[in-house]
Amino acid sequence: MNEELRNIWTQFFNWVMGNGPRPENEVIPPEPPPALPFTQKPEDKYSRFHEATLKERYNQWLELHGLHIFSSLYSGLSVLTCIVIVCLLLATVAELPPFGHERNPANNEVIRRYVQYGWHETGAQNIVAGLILDYRAFDTFGESSVLFTAACSVLMILSATRSNKPDKKSPLMRHHVFRKDDAILQGIASLSIPVILMMGCVVVINGHLSPGGGFSGGAILSTALILAANAYGFERVHEFFSERTFIVSSSTALMIYALSKGYSFFTGANHLHSIIPKGTVGDILSAGLILPLDICVGLIVAGTLYGFYALFSEGEM
Amino acid sequence: MIRVIIGGLLIFGGLCVLGIATVGIFRFSHMLNRIHIAAKCDTMGALLVISGLMVLSGWTVFSLKLGLVIVFLWLCNPAASHLVARAEVKTNPEIEQICDYVDLTEGEKPNDRD
Repeated sequence: MNEELRNIWTQFFNWVMGNGPRPENEVIPPEPPPALPFTQKPEDKYSRFHEATLKERYNQWLELHGLHIFSSLYSGLSVLTCIVIVCLLLATVAELPPFGHERNPANNEVIRRYVQYGWHETGAQNIVAGLILDYRAFDTFGESSVLFTAACSVLMILSATRSNKPDKKSPLMRHHVFRKDDAILQGIASLSIPVILMMGCVVVINGHLSPGGGFSGGAILSTALILAANAYGFERVHEFFSERTFIVSSSTALMIYALSKGYSFFTGANHLHSIIPKGTVGDILSAGLILPLDICVGLIVAGTLYGFYALFSEGEM
Repeated sequence: MIRVIIGGLLIFGGLCVLGIATVGIFRFSHMLNRIHIAAKCDTMGALLVISGLMVLSGWTVFSLKLGLVIVFLWLCNPAASHLVARAEVKTNPEIEQICDYVDLTEGEKPNDRD
């Protein structure tokens, strides 16, 4: 008995180490059949006796042809949709009145009123500025609020990823190393940034006298900020325009806009006496509220455009 | 009359230079060659065309504005081309196969994309 046990043990040991005769009752697993390619289906041995149900056959058909039919159907439908939309738009264009004709429905009493009494009622030499900042000032207020809200939401989204890991850069930040050794760019920037800033201020302040105004002037101001950030680094711009400055200036400008325009609309609508003077047409200090409103809009636009650039390239303002 | 002839010659020369620039942009294969021809010929062609316009308009405020446009173009066009070329050198990993790349500054290798 003991002898037999030892015999089995030595046999097992040799089998494990691989240097002995195999036991006779060892079962060698058969070789698995080679894997079929993805498209080839395994042959069903009993397919003659196996009647596929309708659902199985539908699934098989879908596997074979589904993607092809879907893509052709999709492209056909998209082409059809495009053709329908193009035909609709062309039919609409054919119905439009001719361009610049005198009797167009756009040439109504509103335009006549703006052109005839715009100078007297708004005091602005630039009728467009008088239009968008006096007659339709609430519309412009909404546009500025939309810009400010967009900048705030981008700020929230990009700083939400940042605040979780204070020591690490967020994945949205581009991991570029900024090198402040570009002497050519710095020289050009030192020459052109004051000119650009002056140009932007002129466009903003002369908004009621010449073409321009808050939106275009603010865009020019923001290009100066972006150029400064590229040439000297974002830290230099941070010294005078940080996230806090942006929030404070933009919300103050929006508040001033809303309050002053609300006041003027209230006094105008209720026939109250307004203390806002119109001034003489053509002066810098004229046109009532248009000049401060232009400055407000310019501040918001400049901050927002620079903020977008800084947020998307650095991840912070 | 002589002013029209001089101005026309200047504008024609500028147009020739700009045409050479256009041909060069399509003929050259690499980005640095292209930016070379585009920057130089644009600067020269804009100078010639605008100075021709200045000659045509004479001593007016309009000419002064055109001169300011020339100053602005001569400031900005080379700087912009320089920046684009710098970005190409910094971001192209195969820059050493295209041109002789001399690493003047430490840490400004083309593969150093962080």
